[in-house]
Amino acid sequence: MRTFLLILAISFTLLSVVFAALPMDTLAFAPILLALLFIFLAFKKSDVAQRKFPKRLFIIAYLCALIVLGKTFFIKDKVAVDTQFEQQKKNTKQDAKKDLEQLEKDLE
Amino acid sequence: MKKYLFVFSTLLIFCSFTSEKSKSIPTGEKLIYAGSYNMSGLMTQLAQVTLSTDIVTTSKKSYLHLNCELETFSKWDRFFKIRDLYEAYVDPATLKPSLYKRSVDEGGWTKTEKYVFKNNIITSTVKRKNKPEKVATFSINPATQDVVSLMYKLRMLDVSKLKNGQSMGFRIVFDEEEIPVTVKMLGRESVHAGNLGEKECYKLSIGAKTDVLKGKDRNLIYLTSDSKKIPVLMKFSIPVGTGQLTLTSASGI
Repeated sequence: MRTFLLILAISFTLLSVVFAALPMDTLAFAPILLALLFIFLAFKKSDVAQRKFPKRLFIIAYLCALIVLGKTFFIKDKVAVDTQFEQQKKNTKQDAKKDLEQLEKDLE
Repeated sequence: MKKYLFVFSTLLIFCSFTSEKSKSIPTGEKLIYAGSYNMSGLMTQLAQVTLSTDIVTTSKKSYLHLNCELETFSKWDRFFKIRDLYEAYVDPATLKPSLYKRSVDEGGWTKTEKYVFKNNIITSTVKRKNKPEKVATFSINPATQDVVSLMYKLRMLDVSKLKNGQSMGFRIVFDEEEIPVTVKMLGRESVHAGNLGEKECYKLSIGAKTDVLKGKDRNLIYLTSDSKKIPVLMKFSIPVGTGQLTLTSASGI
């Protein structure tokens, strides 16, 4: 049982690290909470001498939670300055002007 | 994602729904929204949606240019970059569309559409990624508009007299199809409206005869109940989940 819980704890801790690194926002809390749950259960099932590894997993999961919280509160959502998109907008407006002038001719 | 964007644009379009009295659409208006999507029960901010207006002049006429842009936040660009552009060129007085353009770039998948309105006839030019350009001509109902111009037209309509549960019907052209749409009044609610503060809003439900929108009264638009009728919050439900657009900034209103 302890081995099974440890496998789940390790899996969700790894997933927590991945989600914390990706721009998943608070969605990253899903694997983190599951990781913490299985780490706690594995810790409880472990003898005193075996508790070092679950403790380390707990530190990793806890750090992931801190990173996600920090990103949520301190990194502001913004759009990148996209020169290609800006140019596209200018071009499409110029094309539209030509289309409108052609439409005016057709309707005459 | 295509469905998600359809809902974005449709909701935005209907956002501008109401107005106690007819008023013209201001040029230079800019409304910015944060688009969020529900991922496993948590709302995650994905993109910024911007609605803006300006005047475009040809040698003979002036047109009101209604612009709708959708851009993913920079943190998502590396994983799934979206740059969508919806535009309508309309008569400034009647808001009747002359030209509707749509340019979609979603994670590398691209599609461009151009609809030229000649009275009750539309000539559409559609180009999808890795597919040949398709040109078609089809007739439409005289009152049918593109989604962008309809959004603004709705802002000029008087919905203040609508009773709870009462509906209005419209027709839009989207994806080379003419779609009937209904807007139903659900009442009034107070909603946070970005830099405008707390605002009392009309709560409206959008229904379309399409499989894109899901659920009854789960696609909602909140419009300020003042003369400006600013769309401040939109909630949507689609087959792959739910999401919302929240007004973050309004200027030039």
